[in-house]
Parts: sequence; C-alpha cells; structure tokens
Amino acid sequence: MAHIHLEDGSFTLFWVAVWWVIALVVVAAAIVWIRSVKKTDNRKITLAAFCTAAAFAISQVSLPLFGGVHLNLTPLIGILVGPAFGSLIVLIINILSAAIGHGGWGLVGANLLVNVTEVIVAYGTWKVLKRLIPGAFARAGIATLMGLFCGNLAMIAIILISGVQGVNQTSSQILAGLTLIAGVNMGVAVIEAFITGMIIAAIIKARPDLLEGERP
Amino acid sequence: MSTASLSDHIPDLNLITWYAEKQQSYFTRLSPWTKFAFLILIILLVTLPGNLTVIAVLYLVILGAYAAAHLPVRKLFGWYTMPAVFVLSLVGIMAWSEPGNPVISFAVAGFPVILTDKGILLVVTLLLKALIVVTFSLFFLMTTRYMHFSAMIYRIFPSPLDQIFLMAYRFLFLTLAMTGSVLKAVRSRGGGLIHSIRMQGRMFAEVFALVFIRSFERSERVHKAMIARGFSGSYGTATAIPELRYTEYLLICAGAAIVVAVALMTPSLGG
Repeated sequence: MAHIHLEDGSFTLFWVAVWWVIALVVVAAAIVWIRSVKKTDNRKITLAAFCTAAAFAISQVSLPLFGGVHLNLTPLIGILVGPAFGSLIVLIINILSAAIGHGGWGLVGANLLVNVTEVIVAYGTWKVLKRLIPGAFARAGIATLMGLFCGNLAMIAIILISGVQGVNQTSSQILAGLTLIAGVNMGVAVIEAFITGMIIAAIIKARPDLLEGERP
Repeated sequence: MSTASLSDHIPDLNLITWYAEKQQSYFTRLSPWTKFAFLILIILLVTLPGNLTVIAVLYLVILGAYAAAHLPVRKLFGWYTMPAVFVLSLVGIMAWSEPGNPVISFAVAGFPVILTDKGILLVVTLLLKALIVVTFSLFFLMTTRYMHFSAMIYRIFPSPLDQIFLMAYRFLFLTLAMTGSVLKAVRSRGGGLIHSIRMQGRMFAEVFALVFIRSFERSERVHKAMIARGFSGSYGTATAIPELRYTEYLLICAGAAIVVAVALMTPSLGG
C-alpha cells in the first residue's frame, strides 16, 4: 500500500504539474505501445476493464488486520496484465479514487508514478524469478514485496523532492516521518504479498490460461 | 448491494448514482463542462498557498452549493473520514516537528515532543483544502448524469484508455455487488472474526481470488455477447453533452479571474 496519501493542496503547483506531465508521458508510452506493438485486442480490453473494476472494488474492502487496512493490488495487476495495460488500469483507479476522496486530483500524477513502479517491478520480478522459483505462491509473494518496496522508495523520493506545502522542516526531519510511514506500509506489504500469492495460486489452479506460460 | 457494505468510510456509489439520476436542482441543469472547469479551477485554487480565511470561505461556499443541490449533508460528513485520515496520517506526524510557538509539549522516552501553533495551522489548512476538493468532487458526481459522464470520458481520453474506462465504469457496479455478495456469504458462515492473521489472510485471499476469477469469466461472457450484438472494438457514446450557456461562460471567467488574482498575490508566483 504505497499510495501517496496526500490530498490536494499538499504539493506546490509546480510539482503537481511536473508529476502530472511525467505521468502523462508514461501513459502515452503505454498507449502507443499497446496500439503499435501489441495491437489492440478487444478481448484484452474487456479483461482490462473487468480487472480495473475488480481491483478498485477490492481496494475498497477494509481488512480487519492491524486495526483495518486496505490493499492496493497494483503488483497483482502487473502480474496479471503486464506493465502497459497495468499503467492504464492504475490511472483509471487513481481517477476513480480521487473522485471519492481517496487521494487528491493533483496527486494523481504522483500516485500513478508510484503505482506504475509497483506494476513494473512486480511484473519484472515475476518473470525473472520463473526459472529460480517455480512455485507461483512464493514467486508472486516475492514479486509483490519487491514491487511495494520499490513503490515505497518512489513515494519517499517524490515527497522529498516536492516537499509538502507549509512544512518548514529539514529534509532529514521529513525523511524521519516518511520512514515511519514506509515502515507501516511495508508491514501491510507483507500481508498483501501473502494475499497476492494466494490469489495467483488460486487463479493458476482454476484458470491457468489467464497467466501466460503457467501450469497448475 | 452498495459500497457501504464493503467499508463504512467510503462514499456509497449507488447512492451517488441515485442522486445523479433522480435529483433535480439548478446545478443538475448546468453543463457538465462547467462543473468540470470549476473542478480544475478549485484544484488550482487550493494548490496555491492561500490564507486560512480564504480557504474557509471557499469551503463554506462549496458546502452551501452542495446543500442547495439537496444532496445529503450528514452523509457527506461521514464520507470525510477517509480524506481526514489521509491528511492526519502524514501531515499529522509532520505537524509535531513544525517550528513555532509551543502549544502542547511532553516527553516520550526522554525525547521532547512539541506541537506548535504553526503545526496546528498546517493540519487545519491542509484538512480544509482536502475537504474543499472532496466536497466539490462529490457534488460533481451527484449532479451529473451517468450518460453525460460516459460521453465526457469518450471525448477526453484516447483509445484504448477510453474503452477500458467506459467498460470499467459500467462493470464497477457489477463487481462491487459481486464483492459485497461474496463477503456477505463469508460473514454468514462465521467469517470475519479474527482467529489469526493466517486464517483471515487465507479467507480474504480466497474471496479476492474468487472475485477476480468470476470477473474474468464474466468479462469473457460480456465480450462474446457484445460481439454477437455487432461490437467492432469501439465502445462509443452518442449522447450530446449539454452545452455551456452565456451565464456559465461568465461564471467560468469569474472563477478563472479569482484564481489568477490569488496567483498574482502569491509571493512565489510573482505577487
């Protein structure tokens, strides 16, 4: 759960614009890649739409652990649909979330970069570890942990670079606060890794065709 | 089944949709483009470093518009929980180290912990800014019909992003209902009690896996049905979005002028 839990007004206009522009470049690259390299496949689009709806619905479920947490499921999205469709899915989830107050509109760009980091790292780890770790549960769990860890690093970097409006602290003081939050996030990441591992194992058992090159 | 059954701190999408489709007021007759322009102007305004009085007045104006549109104010205060928690979870920590005049001070394990007046001002300012945008976002959602939103998505986003967004928006209600049903079934069999993290984790993993698998299977059925009805890869919308009237152009210009004036008064932006 490496979402930047900041609302509108937290970043200056300059940094809101910077993160939005970088995020739009990432989304544009994903769209160009899907259109030209992957070729738009209607079935894949329908799957991506349902994946978006399912991920958004599940991320709204409050789990009764540690006083109530929710999952991000970005690593799971990365493993299931890959980085290109994953980037589009996390953009839509961030827009829907901003619409109901789950993160600010101005922060959608920054949040997208954090989530895309999680998607790419989780997908890459899942693919790279295939030969080393054949078991889907452990591999998906490690991929999720790696994705969320890197997402946390991206979150810390974005907040440290941007600063928070009205905060007159040194970088080391801000870093101390962010480290505390990142620590809590990684605690939740362990739960998410466990749950993602079980989801992937269950999907491979029931519908192995949904994951390329995987067998039950 | 509504989102309220999933979690009690998030806005109920079914209730939001009901107000959007059934409620009638001056604001429902405004062009969705006008409300979209105002959303951008409000985000710009709260992103600029303004003083607390201006922010408080802006919040009261938007809350007044929300109430005047006959939208549920008590529900809105309940939905404030999530943005408030987000502000407090990060800025609430930073506020304790903020320089200023001490208001509260105590020691934890020998280390002094001080809350200053500027720390409190920081939390209140960011909280109000968050509530301004959340209130207007919900106001926008609850005064704009689904067909107009879908037409806006179709015009704003490039393909295939618009296709995924339009389908996801439509499937969202099905998936939320399915997730709610699965959770209800789990709870009715004694699930939901904290036996151990392992047991809870396994149970929720199975619930989530089931939601994903059923979602995929449903998407395949929907896709086949769409092809049977002549779907050629483009999920278009033919709805005409109500155009802006002269008064709406004037309103947007006035709003833009306020944003420019605030920007010019901001020291770091040339004021």
